[in-house]
Amino acid sequence: MHYSIYILKQTARNLRQTWGTQTMTLLTVSLSVLIFAFFFLIHTNILSAGARLGDELRLIIYLDDEVVPEMQAQLKKRINDFTEVEKIIFISRQEAYDQLAENLGRDRDVLADMDPSFLPPSIEIYPKKDLKTLTSIQSFSSYLATLPGAQKVQYGQVWVEKFGYFTNLLRIVVMLSAGLLVLSTVFMVSYTIRLTLFTRHEELELLRLLGATNAYIQTPLLIEGFLQGLLGSSLGMLALYLLFAWIKRHFSGPDFLGAFNFTFFPPTATLAILMVSIMLCSLGSLVSIRKFLRV
Amino acid sequence: MTLNSQTMVELVKVTKIYPPDIMALVDVSLVVKKGEMLFLTGVSGAGKSTLLKLVCMLETPDKGFIEVAGHDLHRIKPAALQKLRQQIGVAYQDFKLLPNQSVFQNVAMAMEVGYQNPKAIRNRVAFLLDQLGIANKRNIAAGHLSRGEQQRVAFARAAANSPALLLADEPTGNLDPGATRMVLNLMEQLNATGTTLIIATHDESIHRNTSQRVLNLEQGHFFSAEDDDPDIHPLAREIASAATPL
Repeated sequence: MHYSIYILKQTARNLRQTWGTQTMTLLTVSLSVLIFAFFFLIHTNILSAGARLGDELRLIIYLDDEVVPEMQAQLKKRINDFTEVEKIIFISRQEAYDQLAENLGRDRDVLADMDPSFLPPSIEIYPKKDLKTLTSIQSFSSYLATLPGAQKVQYGQVWVEKFGYFTNLLRIVVMLSAGLLVLSTVFMVSYTIRLTLFTRHEELELLRLLGATNAYIQTPLLIEGFLQGLLGSSLGMLALYLLFAWIKRHFSGPDFLGAFNFTFFPPTATLAILMVSIMLCSLGSLVSIRKFLRV
Repeated sequence: MTLNSQTMVELVKVTKIYPPDIMALVDVSLVVKKGEMLFLTGVSGAGKSTLLKLVCMLETPDKGFIEVAGHDLHRIKPAALQKLRQQIGVAYQDFKLLPNQSVFQNVAMAMEVGYQNPKAIRNRVAFLLDQLGIANKRNIAAGHLSRGEQQRVAFARAAANSPALLLADEPTGNLDPGATRMVLNLMEQLNATGTTLIIATHDESIHRNTSQRVLNLEQGHFFSAEDDDPDIHPLAREIASAATPL
């Protein structure tokens, strides 16, 4: 009980004596958390949007000739040998023609003078959901192009590739901002604690001479780091939430965010970001204590 | 080497040299019994402060052996040292007060490091400040006090824990006769309740008529003949006579 009183008293004294630096550190931690969480939020939303679009991904192999029923089983096996797929549909020339006619609806007259066999036969492949990365889609597509009778493979390459490059770029930005978060929290908190140690050098030396225990001297400094992490990350996340709410209120609509179904982090992810920030700030505090405080 | 349970401090052939070659203490041996009040006298630079600094481990000896309250200071573990320091009150010559903190905070600090009851701390600090005539300065920053008042605050902090051993370095150096009397009264009270005191002073007035032991240091040696002093440890005498370094 008395231990807690004196530890909290010491912590309050530390914070009071270096409040200017403490505020700067708090803002730096908040800003770092905000930057990281902002890009991470965009990344997760883009990924989930990509996953939703990926559900509709299909690869179409246009063939030279119709596939006879005996060949169908063989082709299915070769496709599944590369990767398990959800569904394979063989479409004959006639089925392709009928489908086109159906799609044209009232304009089907344009097909009146056309030969029903002018469209090539094809195979529609619906991959499983684990086939998500651009590289894996590209390599699957290349494999399909080697199948006997394959003329061309199509899967909306341009769109998928652009989306893939964009998510890769976003992943790099998230990683960089995570690096910024780590550096800023650990170094800034470490620097602040070091400043506290220098500011209170005489007092700490005196406490040592009076027989203060390591816990008496070190615990308030650890609490300082903990508080920097807790308050800094809470402020950062609160700022992000307000920004998110503002953007959603002013820009959401059927054409923009509505299409992405933009959502905020679930509570577990928010908690994880807070916890990691607290851990990093405490680590920064510990680094300074270990390096500069000899008890 | 075992220490008699009645011994609070023991120094055996202790030498302390400050760079480049200032011999602060040379082969000094001494035994201070529990409950004793010992005056160390001598001119400035005689080695009085150095001896106190060695006992409270503010300095380490270059040679020799020091034991305090049964702890060999050369081998003491950090945790034990922290506990020991809580039992030793030191009134430093340069006070070592925190100028921005109040008189109360400066004195209470000594008890807070031992996680003592806040109410007990308030009562004890109030008592000490009253005894030393500075009760009205309780909330004033230590840096705003006169030298004499600061000296009394430093002494109050040293006495706060009712320590087993109190080391006072020139505790009356800046005091008028009235304040000196207050400090001496408090020292006697502490001694009466079992505290061992070692007081380094060059103020003859505070030990002139005392019945307590007075040792005179001169150029790092005890001036009085060691053989005549019954409290010099027999082992120390033996070592000294053998003239072999420890």
